[in-house]
Amino acid sequence: MVLEKKSSARVEAGQRRVLDEATRQRRLTRQLEALEKDNFQVGSGTGPSRGSGGFQCVSVSSEKKRRKTRGDHFKQRFRKNFTTLLEEENLSERAEPNYLSAAAPPSSLPPRLFCCVCGFPSHYTCTTCGGRYCSSRCLLTHRETRCLKWTL
Amino acid sequence: IIIITEPYFNFSSIQESMNEILFEEYQFQSALRINAGSLSAHHYFTSKPSELCCLVVDSGFSFTHIVPYCRSKKLKEGIRRINVGGKLLTNHLKEIISYRQLHVMDETYVINQVKEDVCYVSQQFYKDMEIAQMKGEENTVMRDYVLPDFSAIKKGFCKPREEMVFSGKYKTGEQTLRLANERFAVPEMLFHPSDIGIQEMGIPEAIADSVQSLPEEMHPHFYQNIVLTGGNLLFPGFRERLEAELRSLVPAHLPVNVFLPENPVCYSWEGGKLLAHSPDYDEMVVMREDYEENGHIVCEEKFDI
Repeated sequence: MVLEKKSSARVEAGQRRVLDEATRQRRLTRQLEALEKDNFQVGSGTGPSRGSGGFQCVSVSSEKKRRKTRGDHFKQRFRKNFTTLLEEENLSERAEPNYLSAAAPPSSLPPRLFCCVCGFPSHYTCTTCGGRYCSSRCLLTHRETRCLKWTL
Repeated sequence: IIIITEPYFNFSSIQESMNEILFEEYQFQSALRINAGSLSAHHYFTSKPSELCCLVVDSGFSFTHIVPYCRSKKLKEGIRRINVGGKLLTNHLKEIISYRQLHVMDETYVINQVKEDVCYVSQQFYKDMEIAQMKGEENTVMRDYVLPDFSAIKKGFCKPREEMVFSGKYKTGEQTLRLANERFAVPEMLFHPSDIGIQEMGIPEAIADSVQSLPEEMHPHFYQNIVLTGGNLLFPGFRERLEAELRSLVPAHLPVNVFLPENPVCYSWEGGKLLAHSPDYDEMVVMREDYEENGHIVCEEKFDI
């Protein structure tokens, strides 16, 4: 029975589409950018995101409604992204050393690759999307859940 | 009178907005905007007056900076910024828990607590990986973390090893997370950002790179005075791991000495306190009258951010 499962996971590979390098790169960049987000919430700090601590959440929401026209509206109109601010700085024209030159260069050590399902060191790559896996069980899980999801 | 810290190479638009907020909206009499690492360096030089140079590693929420200081002045050519910080570690932990166990993408605060309670820096990465793969009692790395439900359990906590049940479920109805390799794989990103795909050097390599870019005669001074500050330094085992990695990167004839203060988070704040009492403080500050007469130029020249 184990043999059957193994062959089905790998035989299917011949019939699946393979993502090209540009798409893989785009997926990676999307994942990395998702890691950089701030998770900033007004009124957060202690307590859960959905309020089960009743009293605090009620007062925050009523305050928010009152101030919505002034505070939030102002922020929505004049909010600038980090990338916009960075472009505005025009750092390529400024003298070194500056924000861009201070970025750490790429590592000289080879990257260590981990299975995207269980997190242990991996030895094999998924043929369609390039994700790493460590065993055929992890490959099955990967195929069923994450393989071609969120593809551009 | 206020001392406020800013990141290195902060954008001029933000610096100008800061000036406006401090002087025009809050009407402070005098203000000092300074890098957090400069305050740490001041603290270090005050506690060890014989040293001339030090290297401050400031690992915070958004990023990590490696900054060499010589005679209390930062050396701009040596500053390195790694875009890995507490924010990235928590977001990554959220993602892997959401994929493997329980959907927690909205629970930033809870997972932040998990990261602080349970994660540590391993001294031998691959050995710990092997131990984490074992089953049952032999897996000494695995821990169960009890999640808060905000009615009976207000704050999450890590279950002590004696109470853990290895096979089957717990009798009580609490929600738990089982963490094995995540415990040390997450802080590992500070040492190897390439684990996750970020094309940057980790902290030990960046320290070596930063010191390499400076004049050769200063190298021993910098390696002997490495100061670790910031929230990410609270992971157990960080200092030993960093010293071991640096020892393998640095030439054998140079001694390496890494200093971790008892409270890395407040080290720069204490430095600010010392600075406020020092005699040069009044020359570093910008008074409100100066700002109102001359505008942003006076701040740009005096605060060397």
